[in-house]
Amino acid sequence: MRKVQAVIVGGGPAGLAASIEIAKAGGKVVVIDENGKPGGQLFKQIHKFFGSREHRAGVRGYDIGTQLLKETEDLGVEVLLDAPVYGLFRDPAGIMVSYMKDGREQAIIGEKVILATGAAENALVFPGSTLPGVMGAGCAQTMINVNRVLPGQKVIMVGSGNVGLIVSYQLIQAGAEVLALVEAAPSIGGYGVHAGKIRRAGTPIYVGHTIKRVLGKTQVEKVELVALDEKFQEIPGTEKMLEADTVCIAVGLTPLTELAWLAGCEFTFIPLLGGHIPIHNEDMETTVPGLYVAGDIAGAEEASTAMEEGRLSGIAAAEALQLYTAEEAKALKAEVWDRMNALRTGPFGQKRYDAKAQLLATAKGGK
Amino acid sequence: MTRTADVAIVGGGVNGCSIAYRLAKAGKKVVLCEKGDFAAGATGSCDQMVILQSKNPGIHLKLALDSAELFQTLAQELDYDIEYFRHGGMITIENEMEMDVMTDFVAKQKKIGLEVDIISREEASKRQRGLGEHLLGCTYSAQDGHVNPFKLNMGFAQAAKKAGAELLIDAEVTDFKMAGGKVVGIKTAKGDVDAETVVLAAGAWSPLLGQKLGMKLPIKPRRGQIIVSQPCAPYIVGDILSAQYIVAKYHPETLLNAKSRGIQLGVGLAISQTARGGILIGATREFVDYDVSNTREGIREILKNAARLMPGLKNLNIIRVMGGVRPYTPDGLPLVGCVKGMDGLFMAAGHEGDGIALSAVTGKIVAGLICEGKAYTDVSALDPNRFELFAK
Repeated sequence: MRKVQAVIVGGGPAGLAASIEIAKAGGKVVVIDENGKPGGQLFKQIHKFFGSREHRAGVRGYDIGTQLLKETEDLGVEVLLDAPVYGLFRDPAGIMVSYMKDGREQAIIGEKVILATGAAENALVFPGSTLPGVMGAGCAQTMINVNRVLPGQKVIMVGSGNVGLIVSYQLIQAGAEVLALVEAAPSIGGYGVHAGKIRRAGTPIYVGHTIKRVLGKTQVEKVELVALDEKFQEIPGTEKMLEADTVCIAVGLTPLTELAWLAGCEFTFIPLLGGHIPIHNEDMETTVPGLYVAGDIAGAEEASTAMEEGRLSGIAAAEALQLYTAEEAKALKAEVWDRMNALRTGPFGQKRYDAKAQLLATAKGGK
Repeated sequence: MTRTADVAIVGGGVNGCSIAYRLAKAGKKVVLCEKGDFAAGATGSCDQMVILQSKNPGIHLKLALDSAELFQTLAQELDYDIEYFRHGGMITIENEMEMDVMTDFVAKQKKIGLEVDIISREEASKRQRGLGEHLLGCTYSAQDGHVNPFKLNMGFAQAAKKAGAELLIDAEVTDFKMAGGKVVGIKTAKGDVDAETVVLAAGAWSPLLGQKLGMKLPIKPRRGQIIVSQPCAPYIVGDILSAQYIVAKYHPETLLNAKSRGIQLGVGLAISQTARGGILIGATREFVDYDVSNTREGIREILKNAARLMPGLKNLNIIRVMGGVRPYTPDGLPLVGCVKGMDGLFMAAGHEGDGIALSAVTGKIVAGLICEGKAYTDVSALDPNRFELFAK
């Protein structure tokens, strides 16, 4: 069976960044991704990123994706595409990663394995939620920005985090009408600058509201909104019916942790980071020796921190493979930590910083 | 807190709970202690068969027949839907060697009273779609069936509680209490239990507890890996085993020089479909201590085997795999009875792959031996003292 120094599951921002760090250190690394193209969610992110210059602030997501891909190509990183990974098995030589490719079940052993599997969109359940036309906001974003297909003409967006705000604006740019942005909480979840853009485009934002039901015969035809009291209970008599053909759901992400469970990782539960998270240390190594996590699987955040966590896990794996001395690795990791801590500041970042600090404390034996 | 009981039972699997139920019903004061949860060991990681054809003609088959008889009315008796279905079973025969073994096996089983015949491939195909073209034939018995092991375990547990037994989970037994060279109770994570009799029904984990008494039980953990398919419409009629399983179990000497990894891993096909539609495909038989993880090799060998014997399964999606250890004994029979030289201790462990099938009758036997000093039938073949039980 084929054996390499490192196998990375997931070719999104975290996985690609990790592969670059290992390849830069001289390691042989294979990235496995279930999609037909690498880059994960980066290529549908047509907006400019936040942060500082080191975080490529002001650069659009797909440009960052293109740069990452060029770096992996220049460094000779091998990327296996259309290859869903279904299992991890213990092996004396490392960790066996088994996957499907070309209709055949295959396996490869990585001395070190990094899981960068990302996260999945959460769903909402309401009467009519299974009608065609109800979809994740990320799904709608892929349709307009990658596949160039408009999911519908009249859209209701649920959730006012940055995903809901940004995708609403991009739907407007793509030619759809966003009739309403609905948020159950009493205030907007994402950045004011994004919210301002959609307000200026004329989209009303209904805070303290939710979808009561969606009506339609074979697809979404009408959407009924209802106001919520401070205990998130529906207020009778406040129902409002809108004619729409699309409902987008942007109510958070859940880390894709199946492989970490299979591998026997210990978990902790942190709602702010998306729920059950594999416990990991400052090197991103889980409680299973030689198995690392990076990106949304280690707590759902955003692409910039995912890339930094990817780099961190890559440097740590390279160190464990003795491609770096402890001293070299320490200096490189310190740089990453500085950038990552800077990303985890501000009103939203600080909460994530605290949550990750709690996670790291768990790894050290605290609870 | 120290509890007092007539009988303390160690182990909350299907057999421990069956014993608790029968004893409590017979009026004994019972406390059962389980280190994890109900159905957490072999019961929760096995296939679901109550199959008679796989049993060695002799006491083994006789007890299985008696157990199957009890299963017929067990749901009513326990007032719990245990999902017992008697849809018959087949053993696939692939080559002349297997045909010889099975012809002899079937003839002997018939004498014990099992309704079983060898049928042609054509006849077998009328009963079951998707069988391999190369099969020489199958055995068939209408008396085979299967049961939901989790529900069976819970059914016994609930009925035991109703009959007055106290069942403790998360109550790992840490040691035995001794007085005058006699076992007089157990120490557990939830307190001590003083009891006249302690029943060791801890399956594959029994030898670890036996060690505390200076015993060297001949029970060894043997791993079985099982594959679970997506739920689908009824496809598998009854239960299907391969003759490989019978050969591996009763004539292991014929496989000594086998080169195939599948045979080395002890793969013998066992297929059945659950009430919810998932198809269970097993299993390996491996000595790997208490390691219950799955291996890619084990999964592949089981699936290769299944696809050869039943090509009809090839397009099925697999959604889950599991592994668990069964309590192997050298002669394939459990240890049921008192232990000479260790008064107060009663063994009821070592059923290997027959734990589910024999659970109903095991409770009855143990209750008979403890309450009346004799079982309903001669069970001297299960006497634990047939083995050298104490380390020298």
